[in-house]
Amino acid sequence: MHIPDGLLDPVTTVVLWIVTIVVLVFGFKKIRNSFEDEDSEKLIPYIGVLAATIFAFQFVNYPVPGGTSGHLVGGTLVGVILGPWAAVVVIFMILIVQSLFGDGGITAIGANTFNMGIIGGMVGFYIVKLIMMGLNKTNMEKEKKVTIATAIGSYIAIVLAALIAGIEIGIGGAIPMSIAIPAMVFWHLIIGIGEAIISAFIVYFIYKTKPELITTEEILGVS
Amino acid sequence: MVEFEKYKWPILTVVIIIVVLMVMIAVGFAIGILSEDPDGLERVLINARGEEWLESLPSPWEPILGWIESDYVAGIVGVFLSIILMCVVFYAIIYLKKK
Repeated sequence: MHIPDGLLDPVTTVVLWIVTIVVLVFGFKKIRNSFEDEDSEKLIPYIGVLAATIFAFQFVNYPVPGGTSGHLVGGTLVGVILGPWAAVVVIFMILIVQSLFGDGGITAIGANTFNMGIIGGMVGFYIVKLIMMGLNKTNMEKEKKVTIATAIGSYIAIVLAALIAGIEIGIGGAIPMSIAIPAMVFWHLIIGIGEAIISAFIVYFIYKTKPELITTEEILGVS
Repeated sequence: MVEFEKYKWPILTVVIIIVVLMVMIAVGFAIGILSEDPDGLERVLINARGEEWLESLPSPWEPILGWIESDYVAGIVGVFLSIILMCVVFYAIIYLKKK
């Protein structure tokens, strides 16, 4: 999913950088507000540790049938734990460090943050919220509801991010859009299963061990 | 001045998590649980244009870090740059918060 340098055309690269910077500015403001509301002495290291964990998890490539591998993106997962704005900021920080390791391009950080942070994190979070509205009508325990919603939401978000990445690559002209979009969606329909399982497992594990770490219950409308 | 002593443990935790997971990844590759195959996007690009084309894409790092020839040196430089970057981010967050 990490777009390398030299793949996108300059216009797409600049436009996605601008969109990402605007969202990041709003994201930092929202996080600053939460610092005032909550015990920020705990929140700062919590964000840092979560970013480090997701960063390391993204290096763990699991085999996928067809000679491909997949890895956790974690946008929706961070969104469910810390909120949609923090998800974009965390994914942006991770992508900067990863670009130092050659995983994703430095000029493509804007595009990668758009795909994995804004689509994967922010849109993924609101998909989870939408699913929660349906699940809240059931009698399930809240941790099961959030776990199921996270699994489905992260799966849809990863496929959606792949679709958007396919469009960006198609616009860039490296591959015709008629090939890029179906190919990206096809592979991520398979890879997304791993994303859903890992994200759901982590959320369920946090609920069972330290549920107060999930800071978005109010926004998600968990009942 | 920011008190680094106060945030020593969060910074250490970040570094320890990265080191432990990097060891886990190395072991995972060594015993074959993990995969060295290309990921979804790389697979699409390789199928469409070939592996050589993918590796020949221009990188802005080349003029700056092109002198590094060993993968091990590149890895060590990457870890150091990452730690410096994370410390700068922590410093900025703490500094802005105090301000």
